[in-house]
Amino acid sequence: MSKITRRGFLQTSSALAGLVGTGVASAESRPPSWRGETRVEQIATNCEMCFWRCGVMAEVADGKVLKLAGNPQHPLTGGQLCARGNAGTQLLYDPDRLKYPLIRIGNRGEGKFRRASWDEALDFFATHLKDLKQKYGAESVGFFPHGVAAGFFGTLMKAYGTPNAAEPAFAQCRGPRDIGYQLTFGRAVNSPEPVDLEESKCIVLIGSHIGENVFTSQVTNFITGLQRGAKLIVVDPRFSTAASKADHWLPIKPGTDIALLMAWANILIVETLYDKQYIEQYATGMKELEAHVKDFTPEWAESMTEIPAAQIRDTAHMMAEAKPAVAIHPGRHVTWYGDDTQRARAMAILTALLGAYGRKGGMFLPTKVKQGRIPLPPMPESERGRADGAGTKYPLATEESQGLTQGLVQATMNASPYPIKGWVVYGQNILESIPQRQNTLKAIEQLEFMAVVDVLPVEQTNYADLVLPEATYLERYDPPAVVTTSKRPFVAIRQPAIDPLYESKPGWWIAKELANRMGLADYFPWKDPEDHLSRLVQPLGINLAELKSLGAVSFDGHPYIDDRKEEDGPIFPTQSGKIELVSSVLKDLNFDSLPKFTAVEQPPPGYMRLIYGRAPMHSFSRSENNSWLDDLMPDNQVWINAEFAAKAGIKNGQVVILENQDGAKSLPIAVRATVGIRNDCAYMVHGFGTRAKGLTKAYKRGASDTDLITRVSIDPIMGATGMRVNFVRVLPTTGERS
Amino acid sequence: MSASAIPTVPTPLTSEQAEAMAQRQIKKHHVAIVLLHWFNAISWLLELATGAGLIVSPYYRFAPLWYLQMMEGIFGSRANMLRFHIAVGLTWTAVFLVYAIFGFRNYLRIEVLQHEIGLDRDDMQWLKVRTLLLLSRTKDPLPPQGVYNAGQKLFALLVYTMVPLIMLTGLTMTFHWFGTTFVAWAMVLHFFAVGMVVSGLMIHVYMGAVFPEEKPAFYSMITGVVDELYAYRHHFKWWRAVKIEEQTWRDELRSKEEGGARSTDEKPDDNSGSDNAPLISRPQSGDRR
Amino acid sequence: MPRYAMVIDQERCVGCQSCTVACKSEWDVPNGFARTKVRQTGTIGTFPKLSTSFYVSQCNHCDRPTCVPACPTGATYQDQSGVVRVNRDLCIGCGSCVAACPYGARYINAEIGKVDKCDFCVSRLGKGLQPACVGTCPAHAKIFGDLEDSSSDVFRFVYRGAAKRMETANIAIGPNVYYAGKPEHTALALASFAPVPPRTIAPGKVWSSLLNKVVYLAVGVTFLGQAVAFFRQLSTGEKQFEE
Repeated sequence: MSKITRRGFLQTSSALAGLVGTGVASAESRPPSWRGETRVEQIATNCEMCFWRCGVMAEVADGKVLKLAGNPQHPLTGGQLCARGNAGTQLLYDPDRLKYPLIRIGNRGEGKFRRASWDEALDFFATHLKDLKQKYGAESVGFFPHGVAAGFFGTLMKAYGTPNAAEPAFAQCRGPRDIGYQLTFGRAVNSPEPVDLEESKCIVLIGSHIGENVFTSQVTNFITGLQRGAKLIVVDPRFSTAASKADHWLPIKPGTDIALLMAWANILIVETLYDKQYIEQYATGMKELEAHVKDFTPEWAESMTEIPAAQIRDTAHMMAEAKPAVAIHPGRHVTWYGDDTQRARAMAILTALLGAYGRKGGMFLPTKVKQGRIPLPPMPESERGRADGAGTKYPLATEESQGLTQGLVQATMNASPYPIKGWVVYGQNILESIPQRQNTLKAIEQLEFMAVVDVLPVEQTNYADLVLPEATYLERYDPPAVVTTSKRPFVAIRQPAIDPLYESKPGWWIAKELANRMGLADYFPWKDPEDHLSRLVQPLGINLAELKSLGAVSFDGHPYIDDRKEEDGPIFPTQSGKIELVSSVLKDLNFDSLPKFTAVEQPPPGYMRLIYGRAPMHSFSRSENNSWLDDLMPDNQVWINAEFAAKAGIKNGQVVILENQDGAKSLPIAVRATVGIRNDCAYMVHGFGTRAKGLTKAYKRGASDTDLITRVSIDPIMGATGMRVNFVRVLPTTGERS
Repeated sequence: MSASAIPTVPTPLTSEQAEAMAQRQIKKHHVAIVLLHWFNAISWLLELATGAGLIVSPYYRFAPLWYLQMMEGIFGSRANMLRFHIAVGLTWTAVFLVYAIFGFRNYLRIEVLQHEIGLDRDDMQWLKVRTLLLLSRTKDPLPPQGVYNAGQKLFALLVYTMVPLIMLTGLTMTFHWFGTTFVAWAMVLHFFAVGMVVSGLMIHVYMGAVFPEEKPAFYSMITGVVDELYAYRHHFKWWRAVKIEEQTWRDELRSKEEGGARSTDEKPDDNSGSDNAPLISRPQSGDRR
Repeated sequence: MPRYAMVIDQERCVGCQSCTVACKSEWDVPNGFARTKVRQTGTIGTFPKLSTSFYVSQCNHCDRPTCVPACPTGATYQDQSGVVRVNRDLCIGCGSCVAACPYGARYINAEIGKVDKCDFCVSRLGKGLQPACVGTCPAHAKIFGDLEDSSSDVFRFVYRGAAKRMETANIAIGPNVYYAGKPEHTALALASFAPVPPRTIAPGKVWSSLLNKVVYLAVGVTFLGQAVAFFRQLSTGEKQFEE
């Protein structure tokens, strides 16, 4: 396209102006930040493109963030930064961002809003919440937060008086493994996972796809471990990136992991390959365990898992040889079949048998960081208690957990145990994170008030009465990241690189302003976020200026049993003070105190089990609308076994629609016919196919697996929603993906 | 000389006639044209020199390495050389655009072009005879030529087709018009057009500056005039047209003075039998380039 | 003088594209293009014994680059440390070099009308920094250094290790991005993304096959004609032409 551009004109006139021998240096390409003469500032903060919060240096000049890079001083991630972290500027400058407070006009769901001032919007919120408290009680407001940044809002909602806060991180993601490991070792796994990958001699991944699941430092440690000679065993129905680096790839039949884990335990015990001294010193319940695993032979396991018994033996021996430096990764998203807590227990038991918990190359121990506390007035007690079943129906989904989102949805839908009439959603994509979205939509119909605080116009903003635009992570202070599950624990800052764009505001400001209007100002007894921050970090001896310039301050850690000190507390904070191979808590609650294998329902003929995961250049729907990341991966594909596809007459690249057992259909999605997946599974990356029109780049690109997760299998122990219990078949559409 | 005495074909002259003619001047080129010509010449010199110095790829290069190095030394960097080449090229283009707009009526109308550089039968014959003369293969005389001889006409045709191409392709490359494919073709066509002009240019410069027979032509590009003898010998049809016009003018003047009593008894003979190049109705004699 | 090179350790690479995006943000690479690309090779083998890898590619800063002679203005050149660079002040965006690269490492940046490609982040090197892609890689899969420095990692990989060049029998122009890792993975990368013969753009072909010849013919003939005329002029003297 021809244009006499301004650049072209300037080029010409400068060409005319500068003739012979001015000695102008040839214009080599230079990084954007170095082209001008303006001073470039480096601001240390941390990333929020996922939740690992890697250290980031933002290069800022003239009020613009020019580039993001890793922070070489960061104790966890060093100078490394993944694709999403590098693309953070495209979130900051995404034209689709929420810019102004919005108040609904028209019907809920139409997505029609009028712009409001912050004063009006904040009053609107405060008034409605006051009304709901008067009419139905404070518990009638459900709160759906996500991430550390929700801390301020969490305080606000607790102070308001509702116990009903639920994050998907528990019941849709990590909950079962946290509970499973807590029951065994006395503490949850937490995040970042304290797996000593870099020192390990044998790494075992069960349904974990490190490499496609990219958390910067985890990849670094994983690869370092492998480069140092660690063996790798990958258990996955799909030939993942991790599987491509494995010494053993076990393409397990989905739903049979407990059989494999118990068979491994069987071999270690029967062949006396387990760490006898460690077990004798630190564990209880060995006799019962020995009796329990007697029948879980490799041959039996082969019939369940479709993994050859010889390979089950080989891999067990591989682990035994490497013990105690065996890193069995607890996984991250583990809500699969409804028996997930038991599977986590099996993995914990195996870890214990190998003597790996608290040992180098296995799992290391967290070191406390005694950050300051800001004294607050006491939080109101709720008489009626939680409505989502956490702590009651699911006794192990304790108060300290992050609640049961689907429980809250059910409670709202059914007005049981009491009516829930208001929802406040902070940074949680409820229609795509919580399975059975048909229920979520029904629940929304019951609401009298729904407020959404977010950065992007995700789908639920269409249903909100009030939308409040939050500033992105690059424009705000958040509570500091206090990481104990790192070999060197640390405190990291999140501080703004530039002032908020448009009329967006940081979460702390919104929460504090609301508190003022709701009579809860006493719960925010700090002047500004720097005041808040300094009161938290000063007791640790951290100077705020130092923290701001370095980005993070770290401390000595005591990661291994041999390093532990008095102040670290008990090594195994269980009831017995030891590793509970047999869980006393589960026994008391009448659950299986040792993991049992239960067969899961198989897909009917012609159907495949739907499984899902991550891609390294996206953080699910959080990055779906990111221009650079979309350029790398604009949509997802469905992986189908090549033979299966051929038999069904489906070609690679063909666009199809998936239909599940309940008749729910997906958006059109292209097929990746590959030899690298079992023929009873179909895999897709989660986080695509949004129905949010406001996300112009992501709207209806690819397909959403949430559309197909209409059925869940609830874990009776802690209420997690097992989601890999849906089966899909392929409906061909005409035409290829363009 | 009376109108009827203006010859229709070039006839041998007596030495007195020749002497007289050699003393008289005819205006051939308007001063604007003279300036434009030298501006063009200098621009071409600079552009050829820098252009040759810019092409370094072995696929396209024709200048020797020492030349490339020398030019780079003169300009400090090839980037500067390119800037200079673009600056001169744009100026050259701009000047000729002005010429094309303001001088269109006088110089670039189709009738003007047809008259001045259109090839007629005399021209074709001239080309044949001239070539054979060069190879000493004939003793035939050259047929009469208009204001520009056939060779000059050919060169003009070449230039008129190639120069707009050079300008357009140059602009395309400078401003990256219409994308990479266009730029790539523009580059190659730019080289081609320049190369073709250069081939004609060599003859043009030789004929102008070296060949003694055309010395008056060379000086006419400085003074604007040629002597009548040269015009008679080399551009007879033009000489004739000028003479007829002079005669017409004199006749008109005389008839005005004599009160229109006497009418002109002879009309000038417009067409000589040997060619059929039409006389245009209102030319300014000679100043067309 | 240093001789810069890079080694991609395929066993480390997880195909996460961190390098692609870091480079993109450093150098304003427009969407649809990349200075460094990460692509998955094919997957071979029989279930469950499968093999796949990732191929990270960019400008190889070859020993004998085919792009440098293709550039008409010499905008593309190789500096003394082996880095093949593009001088934007000389580039006219004709695309000759893009076609001439066997590795598809170059692209035309439509926003500026000029060619762009990896230049080993030379301006960062000048400030003592690593190339952007090297620093950001979580797996430390990109190793960069000076082949003239016997203590450098690249030296070790290239001269003492088994780091391979992406070369075929037909195309061996000495690329200086090497690949280390299991031979099966390097072979996969070569099989999936072998370098292709350098191409000449269509106008270039028309030039060398036709137009070039026409010009030389025309110039030759006219020069000859002149020469003849000149010699005749000399031999017959000038008298003949004067009246």
